Amino acid sequence: MKNIYILLPFVLGFSTVAKAQVDAVQKLDEVVISDTKLLDYANGIKIEILSDSIITNNATSLTGLLAFNSNIYFKENGFGMVSSPSFRGTNASQTAVVWNGININSQLNGQTDFNTINTSNYNSIAIRSGGGSVQYGSGSIGGSIHLNNNLSFTEHFETVIRTGYGSFNSKNLGFNTGFGSKLWTGNVAVSYLDSDNDYKYLGTSQVNENGEFSNLNLNANLGFYVSSKDIVKLYHQSYFGNRNFSGTLVGPSKSKYEDENFRTMLEWSRISGKFSSKVKAVHLHELFKYFENKDKANFSLGSVNTVLVNHNFNVRFSDKLQFKTIIEYSNTKGKGDSFKEPVRNAFSTTALLNHKLNNVVRYGINLRQDFTTGGERPFVYSVDAGLDLFEHYHIQINGSKNYRIPTFNDLYWQPGGNLDLVPESSYQIDLGQHFNYPNFNVKLNGYYINTKDMIQWVPDNTGIWSPINIGEVASYGAEVEVKSHYTINKNQFNFSGHYSYTVSEDLETNKQLIYVPFHKGNLSVSYGVKRFTLRYQHMFNGDVSILGNSLSEYDFGNLNMSYLFNLTRETKLTLNFKVNNLYNTYYENVALRPMPNRNVQVQTIIKF
Amino acid sequence: MKINKLLVLALLTSIFISSCSEDSDDTPVVPKGNYENGLLISHEGNFGQGNASVSFVSDDLLTVENNVFSNVNGSPLGDTAQSIAFSDEFAYVVLNVSNKIEVLNRYTFESVATINSGLLNPRYMTVSNGKGYVTNWGDGGDSTDDFVAIIDLDTNTVSNTIQVGEGPEYILENEYLLYVSHKGGWGVNNIISVIDISDNNVGTIEVNDAPGAMALDSNGNLVVLCSGANQYWLTPAVETLASITRISTNNSAILDVMEFAQGEHPSIMTHDDDDELFYVLNGEVYELDDSSDVLPTSAILDVSSISAYGISVDDDTLYVANSNFTEESDLLIYDLDSASLIETVELSIGAAKIYFN
Repeated sequence: MKNIYILLPFVLGFSTVAKAQVDAVQKLDEVVISDTKLLDYANGIKIEILSDSIITNNATSLTGLLAFNSNIYFKENGFGMVSSPSFRGTNASQTAVVWNGININSQLNGQTDFNTINTSNYNSIAIRSGGGSVQYGSGSIGGSIHLNNNLSFTEHFETVIRTGYGSFNSKNLGFNTGFGSKLWTGNVAVSYLDSDNDYKYLGTSQVNENGEFSNLNLNANLGFYVSSKDIVKLYHQSYFGNRNFSGTLVGPSKSKYEDENFRTMLEWSRISGKFSSKVKAVHLHELFKYFENKDKANFSLGSVNTVLVNHNFNVRFSDKLQFKTIIEYSNTKGKGDSFKEPVRNAFSTTALLNHKLNNVVRYGINLRQDFTTGGERPFVYSVDAGLDLFEHYHIQINGSKNYRIPTFNDLYWQPGGNLDLVPESSYQIDLGQHFNYPNFNVKLNGYYINTKDMIQWVPDNTGIWSPINIGEVASYGAEVEVKSHYTINKNQFNFSGHYSYTVSEDLETNKQLIYVPFHKGNLSVSYGVKRFTLRYQHMFNGDVSILGNSLSEYDFGNLNMSYLFNLTRETKLTLNFKVNNLYNTYYENVALRPMPNRNVQVQTIIKF
Repeated sequence: MKINKLLVLALLTSIFISSCSEDSDDTPVVPKGNYENGLLISHEGNFGQGNASVSFVSDDLLTVENNVFSNVNGSPLGDTAQSIAFSDEFAYVVLNVSNKIEVLNRYTFESVATINSGLLNPRYMTVSNGKGYVTNWGDGGDSTDDFVAIIDLDTNTVSNTIQVGEGPEYILENEYLLYVSHKGGWGVNNIISVIDISDNNVGTIEVNDAPGAMALDSNGNLVVLCSGANQYWLTPAVETLASITRISTNNSAILDVMEFAQGEHPSIMTHDDDDELFYVLNGEVYELDDSSDVLPTSAILDVSSISAYGISVDDDTLYVANSNFTEESDLLIYDLDSASLIETVELSIGAAKIYFN
């Protein structure tokens, strides 16, 4: 608590209150996350949590982190450019990104650009596989990605400063500081990334022209116990991106894209015996400016503001039975050159039940009804169960109905927007087996997803592209996740691997969807001895079909070495050297957009 | 891998064919290449996806080859093949998103040169008096930077530019005058530019909104298909009448304006070698005689079950590109006498325009 004075402006108003109540406080939760239902109502759901140590040792973009630590396939329009996921064979708009419990997919295109999220500003990132529309709303079809900031109500004050430099004049800078006591806490994170991104296209004389980008992410989170029962929390994130959009092998580009996101959430939670209540007020802002020619002043603009109010009420009848209701109202206003000023009001009610029947069976039943301005009233539900059959063997099973509502672009884009669209609707089942040993952990999952009324843009007979509800897709597949760690005489071994086999078929043509690989696998191994750690990551991507052609499979490896220096008792310095694309593999994950050749990065991390 | 195999195949085929022609001494006509005596169909492919292509279909329909350019040259053609222009020897494929023109031997399809400097959103090209003239939108969002690029066909470089109004589209030459229809790019325009090749002076003729396809008819007049504005998404909606307009090439006077009814917006037109003009409206093909000054009231063929994106006519045969932007397109061949479908040929993604080679 050395440098507490710099924080005074933040805490002055509350600190006196907090002090006065010290004595009254007996036992408070030490670590608080906003989205408690992620784990509390998920008996039968596969959830993989990436801890801060995994986050630290991976690329800072959400794309880079998940490509090597999940089954998700990514389509990147060149390195650092727009990146979208395919989760369990679904499309870019069918994975929800959830920030501290709030779905932050763009209201314009229904997607989150995974290259705009800097992972180092979060304490944990969870990958929730399978449908989650009851809990997380539109677009949670393939699965959802959860960005969580923990609030730690312990005496602590810790700062981390990261600096990095690498090939293509790539610079990154990060600053995280967390501080707090038993009654109040806060953390602030700033991260900046900047790259010329002018890598060579292997096997050609071309380089990645017009690919430079920079982005700034700022997160600030605060929490106070205003009484022994009441916590007030404030979460904020800002993102500023400035990218030139690189071209393709056959099409040059001189365009530029500036975008910004502000997300703010004020939350008041009250815990009183078996009842707990949470009120959240959220503001979400997204804005983009697209410059067709970066050297000219003309641009096209789009922006959306959403105000959302949410109330959670949880009753814990006993250790075995709990029940939650959620009501939410949101008002979304857009404004843009291509879609005028649309407004959407949405109201939803949700009920979640979680029951531990006996020592073997835990289950949940979940319902949600939405009402939106467009007249859409999707009703979705899910049931899930966890069966703890043996000490080391568990079964997870779930079935759900999910949806994705048309976006502002789908409805209002001029020309082409279609007001007659209905939400995509999806049914799915998922069966998982979990072998759990102290040093060894295996999850096997099989799933089936059927999605109807897919919203697809097709040209009409005047040549204007317009979205329609067409097509039905069946996605099914198998996933393996293996984790293992051993320590032998101060030698630490860690292993984690994922493999997925994915079929995602258009039921009309019986063809695999474009940009969905049948096979994808990755593994990470690390070896640590004393203060030295060596890590290797490998990824295999199978062939991917694209329109009228296919992209070849590829293998890809990264090597990472780090050494820890104890500068003082409380100051630690980690030096990190990383070789990306070790084998200098030529690869594309979007057609004609080659990804970087072999490149290196040096990083220092100081903790005090 | 695939491309290499195709390349080897193409090489083997050409060796085979050249050896054939050497062997058969009594053959009177030496073939100019594999892609003579047939149709070339340009494929836009998908905007931004770099999958533009050209297909060849022989006159007897027995030989069909998709992706001719990459088969012959072993590299992708480019992004969004908007159109093809021809000289005696060469084909010029205008690639809109790639901002380039691929210059090919029109009969062997071997790449000769690439014009990739000085073009911006190139659309259509015409070859005249040893020069090429290419319409360019400039930046789509900028209404004041549109131009016609002049290509030196000896060096295959842009030698000069002529500033024109917004959204220049089709271009053709007659008696040292270039006619450029200004559809309007991202917006709507309503002029035909008339450029004097000798001094590059530009005059304009006002026509109905969104002039696109043009042809010279059997009387030597310029015929223009104006689609009319149809911006139903604006408030208030903007809709104007489409027309087929005849313009005198002697004095640029407007001779006939045959207007369509409200709500009718034809966008595809072609003229045969004789005196008939064909256009597609609401899924039906209509035929207009050069001597008529009223639009026909009944169609000659129903093509409403397909997505007609390009048409060409040769004698009594009508070729229609049934375009598909997610899967293979088709070429449909109709006999106009009996108004019946003769043959369907599978093409590639995003087929667009049909040329006779």
